[in-house]
Amino acid sequence: MSLSMARLEAETPEPGDVPVEKSAAIVGKSPTQIALGRLRKDKTAVVCIAVLVVVIALAVLAPVITSILDIHERREPGSLNAAEWTDQFGYPVTGPPYYGFDPNHPLGISPKEANDNLARLLYGVRNSLFIGAVVAFSALLIGTTIGLAAGFSRGWLDRILSFVIDLFLAFPFFFFAMALSPIIGNAFSQNDVGLAVASFIGLIIFLIIFSWMSLARLVRGQVISLREREFILAAEVIGVPMRRVLFKELLPNLVAPLVVWFSVAVPTAVALEVALTLLGLGVSGTPTLGLLVQEARGYWDTYPLYLWTPVGAVVVITLALNLLGDSVRDAFDPKTRR
Amino acid sequence: MWAYVVRRCLMGVVLILAMTLVTFTLFFATPIDAARYACGKNCSEEQRDITRAALGYDKPVVEQWAGFIKGLFAGRDFPLDEAQREAAPEQVTHCAAPCLGFSNFNAKTINEMVSEALPVTISLSVVALVLWLIGGVLFGILAAMRQGSFLDRGIVGATLVIYAFPSFAIAVFLLNYVAIKWGVFPYPKYTQIADGGVVEWFGNLLLPALTLALLFLAGYVRMTRAFVLESLTEDYIRTANAKGLQRKKVVFKHALRAALTPLVTMAGLDFATLLGGAIITERVFNYPGLGLLTIQANAAFDLPVLVAVVLIAGSFVILANIVVDVLYAYIDPRVRVG
Repeated sequence: MSLSMARLEAETPEPGDVPVEKSAAIVGKSPTQIALGRLRKDKTAVVCIAVLVVVIALAVLAPVITSILDIHERREPGSLNAAEWTDQFGYPVTGPPYYGFDPNHPLGISPKEANDNLARLLYGVRNSLFIGAVVAFSALLIGTTIGLAAGFSRGWLDRILSFVIDLFLAFPFFFFAMALSPIIGNAFSQNDVGLAVASFIGLIIFLIIFSWMSLARLVRGQVISLREREFILAAEVIGVPMRRVLFKELLPNLVAPLVVWFSVAVPTAVALEVALTLLGLGVSGTPTLGLLVQEARGYWDTYPLYLWTPVGAVVVITLALNLLGDSVRDAFDPKTRR
Repeated sequence: MWAYVVRRCLMGVVLILAMTLVTFTLFFATPIDAARYACGKNCSEEQRDITRAALGYDKPVVEQWAGFIKGLFAGRDFPLDEAQREAAPEQVTHCAAPCLGFSNFNAKTINEMVSEALPVTISLSVVALVLWLIGGVLFGILAAMRQGSFLDRGIVGATLVIYAFPSFAIAVFLLNYVAIKWGVFPYPKYTQIADGGVVEWFGNLLLPALTLALLFLAGYVRMTRAFVLESLTEDYIRTANAKGLQRKKVVFKHALRAALTPLVTMAGLDFATLLGGAIITERVFNYPGLGLLTIQANAAFDLPVLVAVVLIAGSFVILANIVVDVLYAYIDPRVRVG
């Protein structure tokens, strides 16, 4: 991801570069409007957005869809127990991998626990996207705030904030997660419900803590170059209060890098959740894509569908968001005139 | 220039110290009893107190941290408690500088464990680096030379799809399908150069290194492509073309040259991250590197090992950042140092 960040830094549009037509016949467009117009003409972007709209709809409507299809993420207390759905090796007695398609369970049921795979997949996508969105949005707020503060204040505050950014960047993400997990696990080892909630929230907080730095650096760099420009100096000279300068003059110029950063941060968070949960450090008890992959990791040979459907969901989400991020960057880039 | 190098190095040392302090505080200031885990499951109160004194867990956190830092520069003797050392002089383990600590769980110094694991991780990272640099540059140039063609879209698209897969899925595919099920490669198992020669060492590293290389490939293909395309529009390329140089020579000798500096910079930083241990790949292929060491330490609650590994992995990143920044300033005169 660092690559796209590096490119982003090099290619972020300069605020003065977009020509503003003043003629009466031609209506002036803001840079954001121009970018949106370009996005609409970009076939890749349109396809990605369509895919994402479907995925998001499935995620949001997961409870509705599962109740219409009458499938359940967990078997209801009154229904048949797991032993009646599985053979002595834990494999399901209906649907894949050993029996034909079962219309009641389109993606089959899971071994041992005998839960419906489609229902779990829908909830997995829902929870993973929730994690991705919350993490990206929170990191966006933190990163922008710290980046603005560091870039706009000269001197000691900038130095301290830069040191903090460097410190967080130096922490090896996965190792630190591995090092911390015994501590968190220890605190909640006594109760399962507590652990499920705590691990879910803990994971989100951990991901937020380790994803704001790249943005803070980016914003700081942008602000440092922007604050010497004439329009900021002019605002300061005529006595515009600092808060107004920050939010009315500086922030609008940062919209493009922020949008691009956000579109890449969501799939990164989704992928990191999968990686952490695979290592046994992420969620437990709440179905996310990571947990689905983790539970299925031993079944690559005997029950491939069980493993590759959640992996496929991760690939579709990551690919669509990454491609969309590329298109958004191109659309906001004044150098690519099409 | 030298002042800059010295300042960056000093800053790096401060960062490393701050990192260890944060890790120490998180570990030993939380309510978990480190001595209980160090001592093992069937451990009486009395033994636990002995372990606590032997590892210095009875002291305040800051004192423990100071002892750890002292050990880094001067070495330490375990057990730390003087009375215990005098009581059983034959059981004293000397840990030479830079002493990373003592793992009670393995009854070894951590230096010993790391020196066994590090060569594996270094081998893996080096082979992966070679694979992804060669692959990235070749495919990137190929895509740039046929810009807009089917080949160009194919290469960029394929690497992006691979990039969207979780590293776990690629590792599982390469190990379980390519190596085990289809038998294209022999089952990979780490062998030292001293034991089996370079060919066997390389052959065994190929699949896990390929897993890592595939993850980085997309970034390097796109970066090479972008930089080559950019430099192909430069005047000196037109000159080279005008004087009748072969196309191959123009691309490889002139256009690629400009792309090398940023490529090497990125490669250096990514390589440092890998040196910290590729946890998921090492786990799937069961390679006894730093990553697997961390997983085992995590499972056994072996806190001193976790502290040491966080320090090592973080130091690699900090060091690589310094080296890359200094080299960059040295190679590229446009970079203003100060």
